[in-house]
Amino acid sequence: MWETIIVNPFTNALLLIYKLIGGNFGIAIILFTILIRLITHPLMASQIKSSTKMTEFQQSKQWQDIQKKYKGDKEKLAQEQMNLYKELGISPFASCLPSIIQIPLIFGLYQSIMRALAATPGQLLILTRVVYPFFHLSALVPLNSQFLWMNLGQPERIYMFGVGVPLLAIIVAITTYVQSKVTMPASTNPNDQGAMMNKMMALYMPLLLGYFALTFASGLSIYFITGNLIGVAQYALLGKVNWRALIPGYKPDTTVLVRNK
Amino acid sequence: MKKKYLVLIGLLLGLAVVLGGCATGLTASSWPGVTADANNAYIAGGPYVFAVNLQTGVEVWRFPAKAANATPFYATPMLTPDGQLIVGSFDHKLYSLNPQSGAENWRFEQAKGRWIGGVLVTTDTIYATNADYNLYALSFTGKLKWISSFQADQAIWGSPVSDGTNVYFGTLGRQVYAVNAQTGRKVWIQTVDGAILGSPVLGPNNTLYVGTYSGLLVSLNTRNGEIIQKETASSWIWSGPAQDGTNVYVGDANGMFYAFPMTGAGQPWTQQLNGTIIGTPLVSGTTIVVGTESGKVYFMDNTGQNVRPVSVPGKIYATPVAAGALILVAPTGGDSLLVALDQTGATKWSFTGK
Repeated sequence: MWETIIVNPFTNALLLIYKLIGGNFGIAIILFTILIRLITHPLMASQIKSSTKMTEFQQSKQWQDIQKKYKGDKEKLAQEQMNLYKELGISPFASCLPSIIQIPLIFGLYQSIMRALAATPGQLLILTRVVYPFFHLSALVPLNSQFLWMNLGQPERIYMFGVGVPLLAIIVAITTYVQSKVTMPASTNPNDQGAMMNKMMALYMPLLLGYFALTFASGLSIYFITGNLIGVAQYALLGKVNWRALIPGYKPDTTVLVRNK
Repeated sequence: MKKKYLVLIGLLLGLAVVLGGCATGLTASSWPGVTADANNAYIAGGPYVFAVNLQTGVEVWRFPAKAANATPFYATPMLTPDGQLIVGSFDHKLYSLNPQSGAENWRFEQAKGRWIGGVLVTTDTIYATNADYNLYALSFTGKLKWISSFQADQAIWGSPVSDGTNVYFGTLGRQVYAVNAQTGRKVWIQTVDGAILGSPVLGPNNTLYVGTYSGLLVSLNTRNGEIIQKETASSWIWSGPAQDGTNVYVGDANGMFYAFPMTGAGQPWTQQLNGTIIGTPLVSGTTIVVGTESGKVYFMDNTGQNVRPVSVPGKIYATPVAAGALILVAPTGGDSLLVALDQTGATKWSFTGK
């Protein structure tokens, strides 16, 4: 099921792009990532909308009053929070749905990259079986796994004075951090748990994706970097990028928030 | 909100675990390689290299002592005239083992790619092709004699062959190379229509045969690399061909098995077998033995007659091996790692490797 719905279509899409652009697997991954982002753009737009609504909700006087009123009664507070969500048309999980959707995409893409590059006889045999009949696979095999200085089927290192520097993993971590920071909704409420979670994610995600980039095939890192850059671009197109968030010690401008409300 | 946060972190950790598992599984994908001497069968079967007693099917030793799951062995082991067992691993190391005890004699660590094909052993040299695009020549003490003076265009998965003057091998990049056996210098290079996944085979009259992923059996002149003839199969050819002096034999993905005459003496014939043919056919006297993905081992005579299928649990990707009166087959995905059949196809013993 997983193979049929995700991995096989991904593998064939990658191969089709690879074929169309004349045999550059790195560019194929970049174009594929853009394609995936375009397909999931409505979800992304919905996430941004939900995040904005949620931030506004956290800042609202109505919610702050309710928090004060039911300070000692967690159950009642939760009940009132849900009522308010319903009243304002906010779905608490709408903002994290696109992140969850990314997980099978990452997993599927990783499998597809490894499968398409077919570095072992077993992988090539599987590839032979999953490629759609209209492909003339023998004309494509072996795929060119070199992209810039990287072998896309292997973790990337640049050797300087005998030391392997994981440049791509560093770029993945930096772009993930930048994306998290500049797209994070501003919050001035110290009790805003959503904002706290976003801050935690902005710290953990670069480390986690950086670790993936360090350990797994560099083709996956190309996907991460492209995805991060497109993510920022998508937010920018919707006017939701806050570049000032990158300035150390930056504090959200409360007047702007009030004005937005 | 805390719950949401925990769910997201949990999913990310899950992803890390799944990707990790996936990476290990994918890099370890191949099938066993088998060889034998008068006493033992030797099988490179994933995490271990095993020696199995030919009479009893009982394990004699295994190497290494602790399973090498991340760096498995699949390249066909080869014996040297001075009593060493040479086997390469996916961890880029080529090992020399004592065939009696499994003790390590030496290891060669200069290659940068996986050892997928078995080595070629001559009277004084080990020729080893690696997925790092190089051909290595080693002495029997594991010292590097030379690395090919050029890098091939792509990974080399098949074993090399030699006529004493040159060493020949094919690449995934659709090239056939002839290299001077003494110096490692390129003698000629020839392009064929498809990737070469298996080993070439030498025939009479300075002829070299290679099977291609585009479904061709190509014969070349060993003196200059000139293509002599191309025979078309019904689908891709994975294995290297085999020959018995009269015919050259090869199977394809559709289960079609071919015999093409190498000289005027032979007659071409085909046999439709059940299942994809991956391994090189075994020529054992006048009997041809072929394994298929459907778990069938076919015995037939060299005219394509008297075809006798024998079922073995699992898929047969590995090349069958003759060991005295026994035929050894190494199934993939079955209960056994190695099955010994007699000439009638009856199972004498099976070895699970557990």
